[in-house]
Amino acid sequence: MKHDDLDVLLQDTLRAEVAAASDRIIDLEERVVMELGDRRPRLRWFQWLGQLAAPTRATRWGQIAVVGATAAVFLFLGLTLSDRIAPNTPAPQLSLQRLGTADGMQSVLFVWPAPLEAESVAVVGNFNAWEGTDLSDPDGDGIWTAQIPLAPGRYEYAFVVDGKWQGHDPRADEVIQSFGQYSSVRYIGRGGDDA
Amino acid sequence: MYRVQDEVSLLRASLQGETGAWGEIVSRYKDAVFGLCLGFMRNRADAEDISHDAFIRAYINLRKYDLERRFSTWLFTIAANLCRNQLRYRKNHPSTEQPLQMAGGTDPAKLVSAEDRQAKVRGALNQLPYSYRAPLVLRFYNELPYQEISEILSIPEGTVKTRIHRGKAMLKDLLEEGA
Repeated sequence: MKHDDLDVLLQDTLRAEVAAASDRIIDLEERVVMELGDRRPRLRWFQWLGQLAAPTRATRWGQIAVVGATAAVFLFLGLTLSDRIAPNTPAPQLSLQRLGTADGMQSVLFVWPAPLEAESVAVVGNFNAWEGTDLSDPDGDGIWTAQIPLAPGRYEYAFVVDGKWQGHDPRADEVIQSFGQYSSVRYIGRGGDDA
Repeated sequence: MYRVQDEVSLLRASLQGETGAWGEIVSRYKDAVFGLCLGFMRNRADAEDISHDAFIRAYINLRKYDLERRFSTWLFTIAANLCRNQLRYRKNHPSTEQPLQMAGGTDPAKLVSAEDRQAKVRGALNQLPYSYRAPLVLRFYNELPYQEISEILSIPEGTVKTRIHRGKAMLKDLLEEGA
């Protein structure tokens, strides 16, 4: 048998074999489409990220929802665990915060991060005739706070920690020096930066 | 409606999740893929199952396909790999199922018609090892060039030529032995 004859015979044989079994694939496309249903080609990871920016995808909102939910979970865990991980580390905070107004008065929050061994912290100023208002630290995290209602105006103040004067509040509007010691100044309402 | 579309349009539509477009792709390639699988597996039921599986897998992984390349080569590679995996599995888990038999079952010496000659070739193909049978099927059924066969089977082009030449020589010997 010549090689060319064998080529033709081989080709005819293979084709005839498929033709004889063609009933097995007569509805293959229908079966494949039915099995696929509404599936889509699988996205590769970089394509998946890229699709978030593509505005035409029907699936975009679903993917954004997944990413949003994931971010929310991480945010929740972060907020929850941050207190557990470093409960005694004083965080940098505003020493003075305005929390609201009522009849022109503003409830001002005084905050002072003191050493953990501190036993007493007070704020003294011209709003309390330099008599001292105690700050408290109920959760023992070293952040001492007091909320004092103040009318608009200029106020000089300082903190007293275990009897020691602490007049340099880094969050004050300004710091002044008088009689050889520092005091902080805060402007509330029209006299200050919320005017 | 998909008949008038070119292949790239169908593939792009498939990428968007239009399974109808993919159905048209299946329709166009099912004979080629089934023939490949039948030639590799020598068993109709396996060929049918693997063809089905190949089209499903190709669709799911369609984003891995580079539109610049020839689609048929990529599709045939998937089918060939599935066949090879199944044959490896069968080698370790032999079944009682018989491969395709020669038609008629009569004395080969008496087979003289074209149909009978084809039956003899089928019998001889069944006896060829996979490594020789696969390139022959891709060359003579799918009518692929050596370079594409090399890509699909992941073997050098020179090896493809050698195996096709030796495979034909082995077939010829088997046919002459049975004549």
